[in-house]
Amino acid sequence: MADLVQVLPWLVWVIPLIGALLTPVFAHINGKIRDIMAAVFALGGAVSATLLLPTALSGETIHSEIPWIPSLNINAGVLADPLSIFIATVVAWICFLIMVYSIGYMHGDPNLTRYWFFMNFFIGNMLLIVLSDNFLQMFFGWEGVGLCSYGLIGFWNKDELKDYVGTRGHTVLGLPQAYSPSQAGMKAFMMTRVGDISFLIGLLILYYYSGTFSFTELAEKTGWSKELVSAGLFIPAAILIFGGAVGKSAQFPLHEWLPDAMAGPTAVSALIHAATMVKAGVFLVARVGPIFYNAAEVTSQVTPLFITIAWIGVFTAFLAATQAVVAKEIKKLLAYSTVSQIGYMMLALGVAGLSTDFALGYTAGLFHLTSHAIFKAALFMGAGALIHATGSKYLHDMGGLRKHMKYTYISMLIVAGSLAGVPFLSGFWSKDAILAATLGASETSSMSIIYALAVVTAVMTAFYTFKMIGLVFFGKPSEHLEEREREGHHVHEAPKIMLIPYTILAGATLAIGIVGFFFEEGLHEMLSRNLEHEFANIHIVEASGGINPTALVSSLAAVGIGGFIAYYYYIARKADPTKITQNNSFARGLYQFFYNRWYMNAIYYWVFVKSVEGFSRITFKNLELGVIDKISTSVATSTITFSTIGRWVDINVVDGVSNGIASAGKVLSGVSRRIQTGVTEEYVFAYVMGAVLLILLFLYILLTGVSV
Amino acid sequence: MDTPLILIPLLGGVAVFMPLLEVIFKGEMRGKFSSHLAVAALLVALAVVIYQPLTSPLELTASSSGLFRNDLMGLFFSLVVLLVALLVATSSLDYMKGRPNEPIYYSLLLFTALGMSLLAFSVDLIMILVAWELMSIPTYVLTGFWKHDAKSNEAALKYFILGALSSGTILYGISLIYGLTGSTNIFQILRASTGIPDSFQSLAILAMLLLVAGLGFKMSLVPFHMWIPDAYEGAPTTISALLSAGTKKAAFVVAIRIFVIALPVLHLDWQLTFAILALITMTLGNIAALTQKTITRLLAYSSIAQAGYILIGLTVALQTELGLIGVLFHVFTHAVMQTTAFLAAALIAKKTGHTDLDSYNGIGARMPVTAFTMTVALLALAGVPPLNGFWSKLVLFTSAIGGDLTWLAVAGVLNSAFSLGYYAWIVKRMYLDEGTSTTHIYEPKPFTIVLMAATIVIVATGIYPAPIYEFARLAVSSLIGAA
Repeated sequence: MADLVQVLPWLVWVIPLIGALLTPVFAHINGKIRDIMAAVFALGGAVSATLLLPTALSGETIHSEIPWIPSLNINAGVLADPLSIFIATVVAWICFLIMVYSIGYMHGDPNLTRYWFFMNFFIGNMLLIVLSDNFLQMFFGWEGVGLCSYGLIGFWNKDELKDYVGTRGHTVLGLPQAYSPSQAGMKAFMMTRVGDISFLIGLLILYYYSGTFSFTELAEKTGWSKELVSAGLFIPAAILIFGGAVGKSAQFPLHEWLPDAMAGPTAVSALIHAATMVKAGVFLVARVGPIFYNAAEVTSQVTPLFITIAWIGVFTAFLAATQAVVAKEIKKLLAYSTVSQIGYMMLALGVAGLSTDFALGYTAGLFHLTSHAIFKAALFMGAGALIHATGSKYLHDMGGLRKHMKYTYISMLIVAGSLAGVPFLSGFWSKDAILAATLGASETSSMSIIYALAVVTAVMTAFYTFKMIGLVFFGKPSEHLEEREREGHHVHEAPKIMLIPYTILAGATLAIGIVGFFFEEGLHEMLSRNLEHEFANIHIVEASGGINPTALVSSLAAVGIGGFIAYYYYIARKADPTKITQNNSFARGLYQFFYNRWYMNAIYYWVFVKSVEGFSRITFKNLELGVIDKISTSVATSTITFSTIGRWVDINVVDGVSNGIASAGKVLSGVSRRIQTGVTEEYVFAYVMGAVLLILLFLYILLTGVSV
Repeated sequence: MDTPLILIPLLGGVAVFMPLLEVIFKGEMRGKFSSHLAVAALLVALAVVIYQPLTSPLELTASSSGLFRNDLMGLFFSLVVLLVALLVATSSLDYMKGRPNEPIYYSLLLFTALGMSLLAFSVDLIMILVAWELMSIPTYVLTGFWKHDAKSNEAALKYFILGALSSGTILYGISLIYGLTGSTNIFQILRASTGIPDSFQSLAILAMLLLVAGLGFKMSLVPFHMWIPDAYEGAPTTISALLSAGTKKAAFVVAIRIFVIALPVLHLDWQLTFAILALITMTLGNIAALTQKTITRLLAYSSIAQAGYILIGLTVALQTELGLIGVLFHVFTHAVMQTTAFLAAALIAKKTGHTDLDSYNGIGARMPVTAFTMTVALLALAGVPPLNGFWSKLVLFTSAIGGDLTWLAVAGVLNSAFSLGYYAWIVKRMYLDEGTSTTHIYEPKPFTIVLMAATIVIVATGIYPAPIYEFARLAVSSLIGAA
C-alpha cells in the first residue's frame, strides 16, 4: 500500500496524458467508446488524486524523484504536499465533470477526436503543473496547457460567423472588436506567451544562482538569496517569475486575451478559462511566494514583490469588474468576472507576504480559488446550456427563462449567489476571508486604498451577477425568443448529461457554504501546518483568523447594495436602466469607456500587432533587400573587382539563365530574382562589408574598452 | 586505432570508386546499387565512430602525426555529421530515384561526409583547410545538381563564389596566425607563443576577424549569411538538409578548436563581438523567417537564427563550461530537428511539386506521417518542451547568464518565443486549413523510416536528455585535457 501511495502522484497526471494519446486509437473503434473513454481517463486522474487526500489530511508529504540530468542537478519528480493534493483533487474532479458535460454539449461535432485529445492532454498537463516538485517540470506543463488552450479556443477553426466573440461591426480606435475563434486562439497564445517568456527568464536566473529548480531544495537551502541580492536580481527574478502567473491568470497588464478566449466551445471556457488553467498562475504564486518569503534574510527584502502582487491583483479585480458591469454577452460577462475574481486571489496571496501571519492571506487566496473554481465552472456550464437553449449568446436575447429551465435556474441562482457573495454560500466565506486578510496586513500605508478597491469591486460583483440572473431568468421573454417560438424552437431544459454536472457543482457550492467557516478552519490548519513544516522562516501566529467584524460588515454591505440595484433594475424591473446612459452624458461616456475595455485592447493591438508586423516587413525589405542593394549600386560601380565579378556573373548567370527569354522577360526576371533571391555581386559586397564592419566593431570595443 | 585514419580509406575509397558504377551497371541497378552502397558505407563509418569510445576510451586522445586529435570532441561532431549524412543518403534512396547521375550524387555525398568528419578531428590549421575544401567543393556541385534548373544553377554559382571567397579569407587568416606564432598546429600555437609583441596586435586582430568571417560564412552568421536562402532554395532539398544540418555544424567544431583553444593566446577579448554577432544573427534570422513565402527559405532563415543561439554558447565558452556544452548539445539537437524538417519538406516538394507555404494547407490529412514528423521537428526547433530543442536552448541561455550576459539570455528567450509564431503557423496550415485537394498521397518507405527514426530521437532525447548531455560534457572536457 505504501508503495502505491508513492506512485499515485505520478498516476494523477500520467493517466489523462495516456488517455490523450489513446484517443485516436479509441476513435478507430467507434465514436461512442472514444467519448466515454475520454471521460474515464479523466476520472482515473480524479480518483488517483482523491486517494491522496488522506495523506494530505494527515499532514504528510510524498516526494518522489528520479534523476533527469544529474550533472545539472535536474531531477524529475512529484511533490504531493497538502497544497498540491488539495488543488489537484479540486481540479481533477471539475475536469471530470466537464468532460461528462462535454459528451452532451459537443455531441455530433465532426472533430471530436481532436477535442478529446486536447482536453485530456490539457488535464494531464494541468495536473502536472500542480504536482511537479520543480520549476522546470512545472514549466513543461505550463507550456502544455498553453498549447491546448490555443488548440481549444480555436477549435471551431472554420471560423463561422456564429462562433465569433464580440459584437461584429463594433470598432474601437479603428479596429474591429469581433474575433474569430482562430484569431482569439492566436491572441491568447501570444499574450500568455509574453508571460511564459518572463517566467522562463526568471527561472533561468534563479537556476543559475541557486543551482536547482527543486522547490524543496530552494526552501531548505536559502543561501541562493544572498547571491541574488548581491547581484541585484532578487526582486527582478521573483517578479519575472510572477510575470508568468500574470500571463496565465490573465491579470493586468496581460488580461486582454481571456475575454476573447470565449470564442471556444463553452465546455472549454468552463474548464480552461474559468476553473483550471487560469488558476495555474495563482497556484504558481502560492508555490513561489513562500519560497521567496522564506529565503529573504529580512522580510523587507521581499516586500516589493508582495506589494506588486497585491496591487496587480486588486487593480485587475477592479478593472475587470467595471467591464463585466457593461458586458452584453453572457460568456464575456463571466469571463470578465473570472479575471476579476482571480485578481482577488492574487490580492490575498500578495497580502500574505505583507502580514505578520503569512497563512491568513495564503489560506484565503486558496480558499477562494477552490470556491471560485467550483461555482464558476457551474456558471459556465449553465451558460452553455442557456446558449444551447436560446440560440444566442446575448443577455438581451434571453429573459423569462426561469419557468422553462427550472433546474438550470435553481443551480445558476445558487452559484451566482456564491459569486456575488450571498451569505452562507462558499463564495461569501472565501471573499470575506480575503477582505479580512487585507485588513490584517501590517505593512504598507496604501493598504486602505487596496481595501476600498476590493470592497467597491465586491459591490460591482454583486451587481453584475444579479443583473445577469435578472436578464436571463426574469421579465418577459425577449423578441428573439418569441421569434424562435414562432419558428417552432421551444425553449427546453438541458439534457441530463449536461444538467447533472452543474447541479452537482451547485450542490458542492451549497455544501461548502453551509460548513464554510469550518471548511476554512480546516484548510487553514492543513496549509499552515504545511508551511511551517516546509519553510524554516515562516511562522504561524494564530490558529485561524476568526471573524473580522469590519470585513464582515463590508462584504454584507457590498452584496446588499450591489444586489439591490440589480434587483431594482433587472429583476423587479422597476425602471429602465438604458435611460441612465441616454440621459446622462457622463454615464454614457463611462459606459463607452468600460465597454471598450478602457481602450487597452485596441491600444495593445496597435502597438504590439500592427507595429510589429510593419517592423518585420520593413526590416526584411530594407535590411535584406534594400540597403545592400542601394549601397552596392552606388559603391560597387567604382570598384574594379566587383565590376569584374559582376560582368562575369552577368555573362554566365543572368544571360545563361534568361537565355531565350525576350528582353521584357529579362527585366521581369531581374525583378523577381531581386525579390526572391538577390544578386551575387551584392552578396559578395555584403560579405566584404560585413567583414569590414566586424573589424570596425571590434576595434571600437577594443579601443573604448566597453565591457559588459 | 585511430578513427580519422580509418574513415579516410573507408569513406574516401567508396567515394572514389563509386562513379565507376555509372559504367558497370545499367538502368535501375545503377542507382539502386550506388545508393545502397553509400548508405552501407555511412553505417559502417558510424559504427567505427561509436566503436572507439566503447572499446578503448583510454587511447582516445592519441593524436596521429599532429594533424588529427582522436578525442571525444571529434567523435561527437563526426557522429552528428555522419548521422545527418546517413539520414540524407537514406531519404535520397527515394528522392533521387530515377534521376540521372545517381552514383555521382552519392559519391559527392560521401566526400562531403568524409570532409566533415575529418574536420571534426583536425587540430592543424592546414589540415583544417584541406578538410574544409573536401567538405565544401562537393557541396557546390550538389547544390547545382539539377543542371537543367536555372534556380539550382544560380544557387550553386552564388554559393561557389562566396564559398571561394570565404576559403580565401580563412587561408589568409591562417597564414597570419602562422606568421605570428610560427606554427599551424593548434596545440603548438597554444604552447609556443607565450608573448606576441604589442606591435603585432593589429595583425592578430585581423587574423581573428578573417577567421570569423571565413567560418561565419558556413556557420551562417549575419552578415555572412546572404547566400543561404538562395542556396537552400535552389539546391535539391536533401542537400539543403545536408548544408544546414551537416556542413554548418562542422564549421562550429572548427570554431571551437580555433577560438577556444588556440586564439586565447592572442589575448583578444572577443566576447562582446561574438555576443553582438549572436544577437544580430538570431534576431535577423527570425524576423526574416516570419515574412517568407516558401518553406525552404523559411527553414533557411530559421537555420540562421539557430546559428545565433549556438553562437551564444561560443561567446561565453571561456567563462563557463556550460557554454561549450550548450554548443555541442544544440549542434546535436539542431542537426536532428533541421534534417527532419528539411527532409519532410523534400518529400512534400517531391510529391506536390510545390515549396510555397500555401501548398501546405491540408497536408496533415494527405500525408499523415510527413506532417506529424514535420510538426514535431518544428515544435522542437521552436524549443517547446519536452522536445530536445528545449533542453539545448535551456543550457545555452543559462550559460549566457553564467557569462554575465543576462541581456543575451533575455534576447535568446525572446527570439525563441518569437520564432514559435512562424513555426506554429506551418503546423496550423497543415492541420487546420483546408487545401485544394484531399486525396491521400503515397509516402515512400525510405522517407517515412528516416522521418520516424529522427522524430523518435527528437522525442526520446527530449524526455530523457541526460545521455546526450553527458556525452557533450565529456566531449567538452576532452577538448584540452591530457593532450
